[in-house]
Amino acid sequence: MRIDATHRKWLIASLIILGVSTFVYIAYAASSPAGPSGGSATGLTFGIVGFAFMIFAGLLAGRKKVAIWRLGRAQTWLRGHLWLGLLSLPMIFFHAGFQFGGVLTRVLMILLITVVASGLFGAALQHYMPRMMTSEVPMETIFEQIDHVRDQLVTEADALVDGVCGATQTEQVALSGGGAIALATPAPAAVLPLRDFYTRQLRPFLLHDHRRHQTLAARADSARLFEGLRTVLPSDAHDATRKLEEICEEERQLRRQVRMHHWQHGWLLLHVPLSLALLLLGCVHAIMALRY
Amino acid sequence: MSAGLMIDLTVDGKKVSVPAGTSVFDAARLNNIEIPTLCHQQNEKPIGVCRVCVVDVGARVFTASCVRPAEQGMVVSTNSEKVKQARRTLVELLMTDHVSPCARERQSGDCELEALAKQDNLARSRFAPQATRRGVDDSSMSIGVDFDACILCDRCIRGCDEIRENFVLGRMGKGETTRIAFDNNLPMGESSCVSCGECMVSCPTGALTNKVINQTAIAAPGSEPVSLQELNELPFFEGVSGTFLSLNRNAVVRRRFKRGDVICREGEYGSTAFYILDGEARVSIASPIAHVKTKGAVKRFLGKLSSRLTQRQNDVRDDETGQHWIHIDAPMDLSYENPVATLKAGDLFGEMTCMSLYPRSATVRAESDCTVLELLRNVLDIMQRNKNFRAQLDRSYRQRALDSHLRAVPIFAGLTDEFIEGLREKVELLRFSPGQVICRQGDHADSFFLVRIGFVKVSQTHLGGDMVLAYLSRGDYFGETGLLKGDVRTATCSALDHVEVVRISAADFAEMNRQFPEVRHQLELVDRERTQMNRERLTALSSTPLDSFLKQGLMEAQSLLLLDLDSCTRCDACVRACADAHDGVTRLVREGLRFDHYLVATSCRQCLDPLCMVGCPVGSIRRRNSLEVIIEDWCIGCGLCADNCPYGNINMHPFDVFADVPGSPGQKKAMVKQKATSCDLCSEFAEPSCVYACPHDAAHRVNPRQFFAGLLQQSSDKSPKD
Repeated sequence: MRIDATHRKWLIASLIILGVSTFVYIAYAASSPAGPSGGSATGLTFGIVGFAFMIFAGLLAGRKKVAIWRLGRAQTWLRGHLWLGLLSLPMIFFHAGFQFGGVLTRVLMILLITVVASGLFGAALQHYMPRMMTSEVPMETIFEQIDHVRDQLVTEADALVDGVCGATQTEQVALSGGGAIALATPAPAAVLPLRDFYTRQLRPFLLHDHRRHQTLAARADSARLFEGLRTVLPSDAHDATRKLEEICEEERQLRRQVRMHHWQHGWLLLHVPLSLALLLLGCVHAIMALRY
Repeated sequence: MSAGLMIDLTVDGKKVSVPAGTSVFDAARLNNIEIPTLCHQQNEKPIGVCRVCVVDVGARVFTASCVRPAEQGMVVSTNSEKVKQARRTLVELLMTDHVSPCARERQSGDCELEALAKQDNLARSRFAPQATRRGVDDSSMSIGVDFDACILCDRCIRGCDEIRENFVLGRMGKGETTRIAFDNNLPMGESSCVSCGECMVSCPTGALTNKVINQTAIAAPGSEPVSLQELNELPFFEGVSGTFLSLNRNAVVRRRFKRGDVICREGEYGSTAFYILDGEARVSIASPIAHVKTKGAVKRFLGKLSSRLTQRQNDVRDDETGQHWIHIDAPMDLSYENPVATLKAGDLFGEMTCMSLYPRSATVRAESDCTVLELLRNVLDIMQRNKNFRAQLDRSYRQRALDSHLRAVPIFAGLTDEFIEGLREKVELLRFSPGQVICRQGDHADSFFLVRIGFVKVSQTHLGGDMVLAYLSRGDYFGETGLLKGDVRTATCSALDHVEVVRISAADFAEMNRQFPEVRHQLELVDRERTQMNRERLTALSSTPLDSFLKQGLMEAQSLLLLDLDSCTRCDACVRACADAHDGVTRLVREGLRFDHYLVATSCRQCLDPLCMVGCPVGSIRRRNSLEVIIEDWCIGCGLCADNCPYGNINMHPFDVFADVPGSPGQKKAMVKQKATSCDLCSEFAEPSCVYACPHDAAHRVNPRQFFAGLLQQSSDKSPKD
């Protein structure tokens, strides 16, 4: 989600909550001779509010599972998730009096900080990456269809090269000692460099063969290679070469899309399990604190 | 001519005696002396236009023998070198006016002109061919017209006027642009031509040829050929040209069906119509009338539960409860609650499939042993032009279908039996060919029309071009606006394909409104809605100058699903929400063209000009009074709407059904059928589910002209400088 002017109300509300809480905390801390404590009424209130914010933030996952229930627009939930989730950190700090406490509370604190930090990282990614993806991957496709598109690119490239060089045909040649071997029929000499380039570089690149060094992965190097190729090919092969270059560019963009997609959604692999652990341990902490 | 008075003359040295008044041509013919000719036929009045029959009668110039009466003592030479040379030149000149080989020469090798040319070894004329091509007319189902092969011999005109007395053909134009014409220069298919075939059999060249049907004969299993004599004896074919039937005998077959046999199946493509000779048949829609759903996979359980909890009406929508009739390609409509009806002897069905090649709209099964005639469309076309057959169809329509047709239109559901009885003999069934104008904007409004068959395009002419307002199909009506205002037509209505409309005169329309004020009130409401909608469209059309906007067809859209690519994280929440809202079947694909930084998702655009609606054989895709295009549950899965949508926004979704086993009546087996699905804007909700479920504020359902107004304005401000 883009953090823009439409977040102004949430920002103001969050600042007010933060300001009021800070004021209350300072007053409370100053008036407590033994220092602030999570077990005091004020400390407990901060704890309940902070945990409530965390629970609300955690409910976003459930909200997404029932996307069409009219429980409020999903974007409102996400805004709440962002701002209230962020506010939960100072609330818990006020609750704990900026102390990490015992093992469980220390773990909880570390988890909370990590979750909020990973959330901020994710929010930043989701603020910038969509625009980057839009500008840098104009040939973007649906992520789940990338493998299928790649297969199509290979098929298309094969057809283009076969169109210029002729299909690779094998000829059975009898051996003097009996038996036979299959020999490939050579392509016309003038277009041999294209076949050679395709077999050695472009096709492995399209097939995602990581065992080879892939010059074509870099746009500038690729342009240089194709330029060089055109100088040795007859002019009637230039059109096919241009199309191969376009295929190469599409493959580069698909790779970039995959990378960006992983960045854009990969952080959730950290954020979501840690959030779940935080909520579970938070419940354990609340029960233990209230009971004992 | 004085009867009994004989005259003597010499033809090619042979003394002959013929009655006074006999032409030289006939004098020769009666004495077995052949004179070549092109424009002359024995059964037509001679006019001597081709001059090929020139003979030397010893006068200053050669004369056309077909128009020159024989005279006492005349010495005629028909084949002297000079005559042959003159004839040869004439043939050569005619050949410059004739494409060679013409259609007839190619089909049967018997073009009379080309035969003469071959006889004289005139493979190619010395003269330059005509510079201006006169073209072809392919509008008739049964007769092809090639004006470039026509030598203006007028045999067709005389055949039409003198022999058949139809008076359809004539000449038009001057000089080298002269050609034959139908009515007031209409395409043959749209003219009053009854396709009797007389012109075609009269034509000496390939200018008028029978469209070859023998090669596309009906090859259905169990079909029996019907002899010409049998056809002529059937009352159904009374008055149809024997020549035509002879030429098209393979285009009609008799088929016998046992009780339970399927005559035709819904959704299948075909090119024939059926006429029931005896027995009865049951017409029904076999596809379940329901929304498509996913299979009961566990993983979709939550989505299905969502649909239930949000109280979507899964099988019956509010709109559908008010819809009582499904329009099919048969003389009657089917009831929504029980889509079954009976066809009887004398009923014709499958006309739209036959004439416009639409998919079959319903399944027809023999209710008792029955015999039907299966017809190809050239035969059906000629039948529909035949006065007797038209009268029979009209009678059958008035007696059996008028009530249900009128009552199938919700506005007219309340008309009394007495009124319809009174109307029965007054309405008129009119037929229109593709492209033909039914009523024109600005003309005096004199009738009201109900569409019986086919699709009608309603358009308005404005400065800058025509704007399509609507496509109307069976069950729709038009013409009320002009009548209610007592004014002129406000739009032009033309036939998109083969259309039949029921015409109700202005007087009867006024009487209906007087007797039924509720009908008038409803019509006025519809009129107001239509006028308002048209005004909005016109306003929208006049305010969008951007080229790329036009190129992507965004101009045509009333509602676009846009994804703001600068905000969208490609999480697919929109797609999942759509699937959850529609029983697991998504109606949007997050893929499409980009406009500015928006992705125009593959989801129904609710086009101003909804091409998807054209051709639906059961009228299940339609527009509500609001803007959304919906596909009703009686969709038979033919896929025509999906093919017609230029943006690929209609998908065919397979689902499992238990269907009849072909050839085994009563048995059923699991089969996969299809239904079309498209975005319905989640009209039960205030906001489409895809938009509601987008957490990133990236999905928007917008009116493109309003949403992009700023951008378009900037662009138009810049364009003059560019």
